[in-house]
Amino acid sequence: MLNDVITIKEHHTQAAELVFEKISQKIDKKKYIIAIAGEVSSGKTTLAYLLGRMFKIKGIPSKSIDLVDFYKVPPLERRAWRQKHGISEVGVEEYDWELIEKTIQSFLDSKKMTMPQVDLHTDLVDEVTTDFKDIEVLIISGLYAFHCEHIDYKIFMELTYRETYENQKYTGKEVMDSFRNKILEKEHEAVQSQKKMADYYIDFNLFLNSYHL
Amino acid sequence: MLEDVLLIQDKHREAAAVIVEEILNNKKDKYIVAISGESGSGKSELTHVIAKDLRKHGIFAKPVHIDNFYNTLPLERTKWRMDKGIENVVGLNEYKWDEINRVIDDFKNDRTSTMPCVDLVTEQIDQLTTNFKGIDMLIIDGLYAINTDGVDLRVYIELTYHETKKAQKDRGKEPQNEYRMRVLEQEHQQVLSIKPKADLFVNIDYQVVRAHHD
Repeated sequence: MLNDVITIKEHHTQAAELVFEKISQKIDKKKYIIAIAGEVSSGKTTLAYLLGRMFKIKGIPSKSIDLVDFYKVPPLERRAWRQKHGISEVGVEEYDWELIEKTIQSFLDSKKMTMPQVDLHTDLVDEVTTDFKDIEVLIISGLYAFHCEHIDYKIFMELTYRETYENQKYTGKEVMDSFRNKILEKEHEAVQSQKKMADYYIDFNLFLNSYHL
Repeated sequence: MLEDVLLIQDKHREAAAVIVEEILNNKKDKYIVAISGESGSGKSELTHVIAKDLRKHGIFAKPVHIDNFYNTLPLERTKWRMDKGIENVVGLNEYKWDEINRVIDDFKNDRTSTMPCVDLVTEQIDQLTTNFKGIDMLIIDGLYAINTDGVDLRVYIELTYHETKKAQKDRGKEPQNEYRMRVLEQEHQQVLSIKPKADLFVNIDYQVVRAHHD
């Protein structure tokens, strides 16, 4: 995403440090893939950013991709599309998994890749071309990131959709109404179904910020 | 710029509101705004808030960050500047102005354009391809942005690096060392030469003030 704004809070940094330590022990190859799945506005992008910075400090080049860039229907048309096709079409199948797989394969093969990139100022889809040659770690964040192939480490971020509602209102990313609420409920179900696959589970609601499953 | 960190405060929102009003009063098709200011003065923040505000008025504005157009690669820049001498090379000529002008021309002519885009985590230069059709405005931000040809509104943020030293440290964007200080001082000197081109100033209290051209 271009022109996204993240707010880094203490709990994000703490969580990132814990996850980074775990991954550092596990990482055993030159092309390592981390997936961050979880609820809307749960801090996936923020965690991805912080992990990227930590890898950079260790001299390990990493690249973040956000699955929000890989929707089949572009942002400005999505709402109308969803209204037309109904709530049953909301979910995993809304993403271009073929293109996501192609991106992951380009990373694994150290090749160049052109991917979609949503500009949050214009809500239009740009394209970004990147060279994966020297990139050793790929960080994939997105609601359904565990659906990707070749993932080595899976992080799940918890949040109830009620809180999501409050968060979204705050960040002003989406127009809120009952239809949007139904979408969130549907997404919430699909997101939660991935939870069992997680290697690491983060729940900022708990007294302990995060723990290992 | 990919993976940039922004700290948006009320002062940015307030200054942006005044600038947006100025833009709306003078608006025309394919309008270009430029925002100059030293490192840490809040260019990116101001650009972000202005673009968001314009969107509320139904205007699609695309930001272009001049820092994506350096002649040197991010990972090689420090050594290059040291080898050539900071006082000799840090300045307007560090940027690919012909490429910046090409992007502006693509914007003016509704073309699809490909431009460099630095990923601040990998420090690699990606290529960004965008279609300027349907984009109403361009907001160019960068130290020397107001020096660009064909700009309709030039904004200059007067905060110098002396005033923003602390803010820079908080953002952790660049290491604070002697080299960095010499670069900032040289940039401070260089940017003064283009300051008279400004139409609007954002002063050190972040108030927007109109320039008096005699």
